[in-house]
Amino acid sequence: MLKYSISSIFIVLISLSAFSQNDSIVNDSIRYAQKYGLRLGADLSKIAKTIIDEDYTGFEINADYRMSKFLFVAGEIGTEEKITDSEYLNSTAKGSYFKAGIDYNMYKNWFGMENMIYSGFRLGASTFSQTRNSYTIYNTHNEWQEQSLIIDDTKYSGLSAIWAEIQFGLKAELISNLYMGLSVQLKGRVTETEPDNFENIYIPGFGRTYDSGSFGISFGYNISYLIPLFKKED
Amino acid sequence: MNYLKLKVFPLFLISLVLLNCEKDDICAEATATTPQLILRFYDQNAPEETKTVSSIVVYGFNDANEPVFFDNIGLSTSDSIIVPLRTDSEITRLVFHKDFDIDNNGTPNDDSDDIVLGNPDLLNISYKLEDIYVSRACGFKAIYTNLEISADSDPNPWISSHEIINTTVENQNSAHVKIFH
Repeated sequence: MLKYSISSIFIVLISLSAFSQNDSIVNDSIRYAQKYGLRLGADLSKIAKTIIDEDYTGFEINADYRMSKFLFVAGEIGTEEKITDSEYLNSTAKGSYFKAGIDYNMYKNWFGMENMIYSGFRLGASTFSQTRNSYTIYNTHNEWQEQSLIIDDTKYSGLSAIWAEIQFGLKAELISNLYMGLSVQLKGRVTETEPDNFENIYIPGFGRTYDSGSFGISFGYNISYLIPLFKKED
Repeated sequence: MNYLKLKVFPLFLISLVLLNCEKDDICAEATATTPQLILRFYDQNAPEETKTVSSIVVYGFNDANEPVFFDNIGLSTSDSIIVPLRTDSEITRLVFHKDFDIDNNGTPNDDSDDIVLGNPDLLNISYKLEDIYVSRACGFKAIYTNLEISADSDPNPWISSHEIINTTVENQNSAHVKIFH
């Protein structure tokens, strides 16, 4: 019960080491050959959100390839369509993106385990369009008429954004070669093309933007499968 | 293994909740809104001098020729007035009614025989509407460009002439129109 009183992140971290203690017998004299290969997966949170949220459609495939004991080359490719609705404005952002970078495993596994607690870096790029679906003219002195909704579908195409991203996450092997992963992604836009007389409200891959600056945050919940190519001892 | 799965899933749910909570999508009241037209009254005999208009009230006429009254414009004696322009039409018809008073014919409870006193002058204000992006929360506001004013023919006008200082109404920092009387 004590564990439940700690924050969830700690619970996950603790549980990683907890079950490894249950399963494994540490034997210093035996060297364990670790699996190397290509891990392919999908973001379950985007699939779930597509089902739950009628304003959202998204899909992301992610992959990583193990370079050394701790280093992975990693990337994501995906597509998103998102309707953002506020009191005065309704707009749709639609586009695709890719991210490429590295993951560094900071977790020293117990014998025989191949889990990851990692930090990663990505460079992301997105090309997208934004459509102004409807808006109401913001006017606080209006006795002339009811605030009427203006329906229009002005489409701003050819927009793009590039951002840098730091990821923190974990990947745990549930059954042989099948991994469940969780990550938090902190992002900062480097450049973006903004529509004339409008702004990028949502950027596929980056997520929603904020008035306060060029930073963003998002979460991923992945399931992935490792295609083992070869084994290598430490 | 299920142990881990049980722990990861709640965290995923928490993160979804966090994502949905952060809405700075409320339009703050202090945000600059669609500007109103500022008119300033000047003395026709001394065009540099402002001159108050006695007991003026301003109201509009809509497309059905019904009067439209404005919440923040009451009867006042003033040398300037601020009026809202329409955002659903590129022409706004405004009545500047000087010395406004109602003679109730000695029957304060009976409106039917009331006589409206004073001198109404009608100005047609035409312009081009332009939508300007404000923010994600407030959306777009309107500004008015190519401002033009014409007076309805009036046998007894109190307004002698007008002068547009700024043909673009994009803020309320200063007067846009001078009215001479």
